[in-house]
Amino acid sequence: MPTLTGDSVRLLLDQVAIDVESNKDLLCDLDGEVGDGDHGVSMTIGMRAVRRAMDDLAPDPSVEQAFQAASDAYAIEVGATIGPLYEVAFAAAAQACSGKADVSSVSDWVQIYQAMFDAIQQLGGAELGDKTLLDSFHPAIEKLASLEGQDLVPSLEQAAVTARQAAEATKELKPMKGRASRLADRAVGYQDAGATSLAIILESVAAFAAHVRS
Amino acid sequence: MKKLINDPFDMVEEMVDGFLSANDDIVRRVGRRSIARVASPIDGKVGIVVGGGSGHLPAFAGYVGHGMADGAAFGNVFASPPARPVVEATTAVDSGAGVLYLYGNYAGDCLNFDKAQDQCQEMGMDVRTVVLNDDVASAPVEQADRRRGIGGLFWVFRIAGAKAEQMASLDEVFEIATRANANTRTVGVGLTSCTVPANGRPTFHLEEDEMELGLGIHGEPGIKRQKVAPVDDIVEAMMDMILGDLDYSGSEIALSVNGLGGTPAEELYVVYRKAREICDANGLRVRHKNVGEMVTALEMAGTSISLVRLDEEMSALLDSTVNTCMYKKP
Repeated sequence: MPTLTGDSVRLLLDQVAIDVESNKDLLCDLDGEVGDGDHGVSMTIGMRAVRRAMDDLAPDPSVEQAFQAASDAYAIEVGATIGPLYEVAFAAAAQACSGKADVSSVSDWVQIYQAMFDAIQQLGGAELGDKTLLDSFHPAIEKLASLEGQDLVPSLEQAAVTARQAAEATKELKPMKGRASRLADRAVGYQDAGATSLAIILESVAAFAAHVRS
Repeated sequence: MKKLINDPFDMVEEMVDGFLSANDDIVRRVGRRSIARVASPIDGKVGIVVGGGSGHLPAFAGYVGHGMADGAAFGNVFASPPARPVVEATTAVDSGAGVLYLYGNYAGDCLNFDKAQDQCQEMGMDVRTVVLNDDVASAPVEQADRRRGIGGLFWVFRIAGAKAEQMASLDEVFEIATRANANTRTVGVGLTSCTVPANGRPTFHLEEDEMELGLGIHGEPGIKRQKVAPVDDIVEAMMDMILGDLDYSGSEIALSVNGLGGTPAEELYVVYRKAREICDANGLRVRHKNVGEMVTALEMAGTSISLVRLDEEMSALLDSTVNTCMYKKP
């Protein structure tokens, strides 16, 4: 079992940032089909700010401090829709970890993901099925919650696989939020960019946890 | 991608630096991504703060100056600014008479400006908002709250800005901005895509002989992709959509033809010629007009046509002088 301390989360968020940026072109292409083609750019700008924030953290941060620094980075640098959404999501993750020395169990990560999900849904106002990142996040959290008590790494991996499949399934959905919503029928057949970047983040978290274990 | 840039991720920062030094007689920096009129706050005057993604100049910062806006916030390319620069601009322009936010109806802008408004109100400032939604093609008339803000923003900034310059109250400026927005309609057409610098590749693809009717100012697809036609036919289709959406009959109007960034002024005048002919044929009295780049989409080729149904007050306000960074009228 890996032990994920505050310093681990700092490294984890750094890795998530690298993985998201390496998918910039894919995310822009998905967004370009139905939106304005900048989702990969906005996420990259946010994640670069996250990397700088992780660098700037005092040594041995708490888990809460690491997540909060990611929230602040999105708040200051990003704008767009994704800026406020990830700002509140990372802030909610920080709150969910308040007082915890490490986040090493499945139930810790269910709490983190659920807090992020709730914060995004509350601010963004989307419902499941509206073709947003909630549509890949929700089934992944359900999957993870069903694995409570089990080993962290394979559980995070299964949640990530679920998120990826759900992101692909957003092709069938009609968008109800954001710029793409004005296309509605024309957007059916295209995979949602936000649901995809969320899946990439969950994959990155799982890969990082596996790396810590090894 | 061929662009006059350094690192694409530095473009906005470098653009803001250049914009400020080129316009330092009119504006000053109030934050990393926010500007205000040199003289702001102006005693007793309602402050108007505009903003949105970069890539649309003269919108938004280009309209800061006498007769239009008092402050502006810059976002990344085609992305709303975060709340912070909006708060900085608001703080800089608030004289105590209150501040009005004017911006286009996009999810990101609404989220970030709302957050800024909440923060400013907690600090004791009186802030109101009119979200602009002139784009006929982006939703049916009964769902006007889903419509985007595009080229017609120019007229609402002009009318509200002129009213604020007369030292009107926040209620009055809010009211006329609402009225101007409700009476403004725009339809756009795109002939080419554009490239977000940090993306590096065109946002979408149009064949050599294709155009997109109802295209948004960020390259969002419109309502119909079709073969390029003679411009008179295109303008007729655009004007049909506008005149079918709002009853302009018997009114004085403001008419503008906006370039999206990659269309020469010559073509815009050809567009204007036909749009004007249609207005005249329909008995619309064109009282105010503007032809040129007002709300662009980087280097996209294409145009948008806006019509404002004026009343006496709005028409008189449009006679006033303007001296902003990128739009001047004696």
